[in-house]
Amino acid sequence: MVESNKDGSDMAVTQEGRSIELVLPSEVGYERVAMEGAGAFARMLGFPSERIEDLKTAVAEACLNALQHGNRNRPGAKVRVTLTFKEKAISVRVMDEGEGIVEIPDLPETEEAMIRLQPPRGLGMFLIRRLTDAVDFNEPTEKGHVVKMVIRREGCTSLN
Amino acid sequence: MVKENVIQVEDRESAVIFHIQGDVTRISEPPLKAAYDRLDHKKVKGLLLQFQEKAYFNSEGLKGIIIVLSEARKHQQKAAVTGLSKHFKKIFQMVGIGKLAGVYDTQEEALKSLKDRSKTEG
Repeated sequence: MVESNKDGSDMAVTQEGRSIELVLPSEVGYERVAMEGAGAFARMLGFPSERIEDLKTAVAEACLNALQHGNRNRPGAKVRVTLTFKEKAISVRVMDEGEGIVEIPDLPETEEAMIRLQPPRGLGMFLIRRLTDAVDFNEPTEKGHVVKMVIRREGCTSLN
Repeated sequence: MVKENVIQVEDRESAVIFHIQGDVTRISEPPLKAAYDRLDHKKVKGLLLQFQEKAYFNSEGLKGIIIVLSEARKHQQKAAVTGLSKHFKKIFQMVGIGKLAGVYDTQEEALKSLKDRSKTEG
């Protein structure tokens, strides 16, 4: 590893193609481990702080969905998180042992919640969609289901 | 692994302040809702949710905040939020919490806004 310059670009060049993998038990709270790991990886690669925070939230929400809805908190079921740095972006794969997402809402039902005082649904997936540069929620695999996300170093999220 | 939130309630002239310690996740909704339900809604004109700046919020925690702020709106109480990091200010606006509560940098700004809004909106 070489010393990073101020924006981390030297480090980023040497780390091209590097991957990390985390295997989590299906227990609420472990999404924080993936979140912090993803944050440390992005920091090492010189990602700006705003993008690191976007990545951390997206990874935490994807893991939370995977362990609660995908694996249904089954003891023994695992969530596998892989992060790969390539071409100034981090690609994230979050794999669970479930059957995939049946319904992907376009927008969180916040308005509905305000009127009916019912908890809004779809907030996690909405956040993932808004904070990442690309997402595929429903890739089936032999062993389960994968959510794929891409966060670019230079991307940005706006409120619109 | 996950700590329960401590919520301290402070009564001010313009609003009731909930000082919410800790991260805001699924376990936050019951104490937040219980603290809100204990208020005397005939007297309370404003509600300020004061979070710790290093607090982490996930979608489950955001749901609880939306429910409590929706209840406040039903009771015609003005609401405000403070103590958020730059990232979570963005998240709060993204998920629509900005429609239910003003988001402020400091407690003073939030209380002033609640006082002003009570005067102008009656």
